[in-house]
Amino acid sequence: MDDMPAIRASGIRKRFGELEVLRGVSFDVRRGSVVSMIGASGSGKSTLLRCINRLEAPTEGEVYIDGVPMGFVEDRGGRRRARSLAEINRLRRDLGMVFQQFNLWPHMTALGNVIEAPMRVRGLPRAEAVALGEAALEQVRLAEKRDAYPAHLSGGQQQRVAIARALAMQPKAMLFDEATSSLDPELTEEVLAVMRDLAQRGTTMIVVTHEMRFAREVSDEVMFLHDGVIEESGPPGQVFGAPRSERCRQFLSKFIGQAR
Amino acid sequence: MGNWERLVWNQREVLLEGFLVTLHVCALAFAAAILGGLALCLLRMHVRPLRPLATLLIEFFRATPIFVQLMWVNYVWPELFGWPNSFFTAGWVALALQSSGYLAETFRAGIEAVPRGQREAGEAVGMGPALVMARIVLPQVALTTAPAIVNQFTVIVKSSTLVSVITVQDLMFQSQKLVNVWYEPIEILTATAAIYIAFVFAVSACGKRLSDALRRRFGIGSG
Repeated sequence: MDDMPAIRASGIRKRFGELEVLRGVSFDVRRGSVVSMIGASGSGKSTLLRCINRLEAPTEGEVYIDGVPMGFVEDRGGRRRARSLAEINRLRRDLGMVFQQFNLWPHMTALGNVIEAPMRVRGLPRAEAVALGEAALEQVRLAEKRDAYPAHLSGGQQQRVAIARALAMQPKAMLFDEATSSLDPELTEEVLAVMRDLAQRGTTMIVVTHEMRFAREVSDEVMFLHDGVIEESGPPGQVFGAPRSERCRQFLSKFIGQAR
Repeated sequence: MGNWERLVWNQREVLLEGFLVTLHVCALAFAAAILGGLALCLLRMHVRPLRPLATLLIEFFRATPIFVQLMWVNYVWPELFGWPNSFFTAGWVALALQSSGYLAETFRAGIEAVPRGQREAGEAVGMGPALVMARIVLPQVALTTAPAIVNQFTVIVKSSTLVSVITVQDLMFQSQKLVNVWYEPIEILTATAAIYIAFVFAVSACGKRLSDALRRRFGIGSG
């Protein structure tokens, strides 16, 4: 059981019409480890992340969460059938997602955003959800903003509330989709600090990012995506220090001074 | 000034009575128009087999004159459906029909304006489509369309004067009755116009304050 990866992607392909964005991607994420995905815009990183929690259905391939396939169920005879949306929604609870644009719900307070899914999706009583939500806001150091509406929070604060919203579902893993890309540099740091903190607590994380220093410091493994495939992967020391792929070397050279 | 006192001030109870009927008709029409508009909009957007029917109704309600609808509901519906069985009901139903057509389109624009990421944030925590609609999309639509909805209420108030034609005893009806008693239209009709203006202005002002407050609080709402 301990050998089972928290997340396994197996032969993921994704086609949008003529365009094949992912061309066969496979990898494992061990429980408690942090995997960073780097690569140029359009390399397929975000699509890959969205295939993992099935905001996009992969055209081919399968994602397993603790060994459970997201897209199908197998009956006793070994026949496969596609999962219903309700079943997929059930599995999605186990994956916390943080978006580039935060996507906080503007008509709810910070706490309202955080307790919404625990109450409506998991069916927790309000008091329990609030306790969970307050703990999550505490964890992102925003307990004092619980009654603020998103419009009154800075970008960095909004993103931290979004992280708390994902944490409140007590997911098995967290997915970060360029979580700091739409933030000013000084706001980026407060979000990265929260993410660093999560990593140190042993949260399983997949982080799509352009923050090379963060990827290097925090990750257990770094994957470089190019043109819909994993071009290079390994421990950060190797990928950043001595990349074997020429494309990876070229990509990283644009970030000189940030990570190396 | 003697005429004003005699024709308007001394008739204030009659006019007030009429105004209350106007309020009643408009409130019922408004509530029905919101529910009807929402239903038409959701049918059109999310229930594929009923889409053509919903689209047809929306276009029909928007494209026919309110006076024709009033006559149609009042004289044709009782023959076809055995309902409505009072002028009052026919009055607010006809008013609701036209506004529901307009509001359906307002709601559709509002739903389409909710960013995709808002829904995805719901889906990502495991919400199904109904929950996403009820908890994430519609509350935001209510906020963004609030000014347009309030504006539609003023349209209903103005159109409501037509129900006097089918003898609903609203403000316009009472005012015309007074004119027909004394044949002195200047003061009474001017006062009637003033009451409508004051009411519509008051409603619009409330709508403006509402949308300002919404924008301050939630950062959303049309400018």
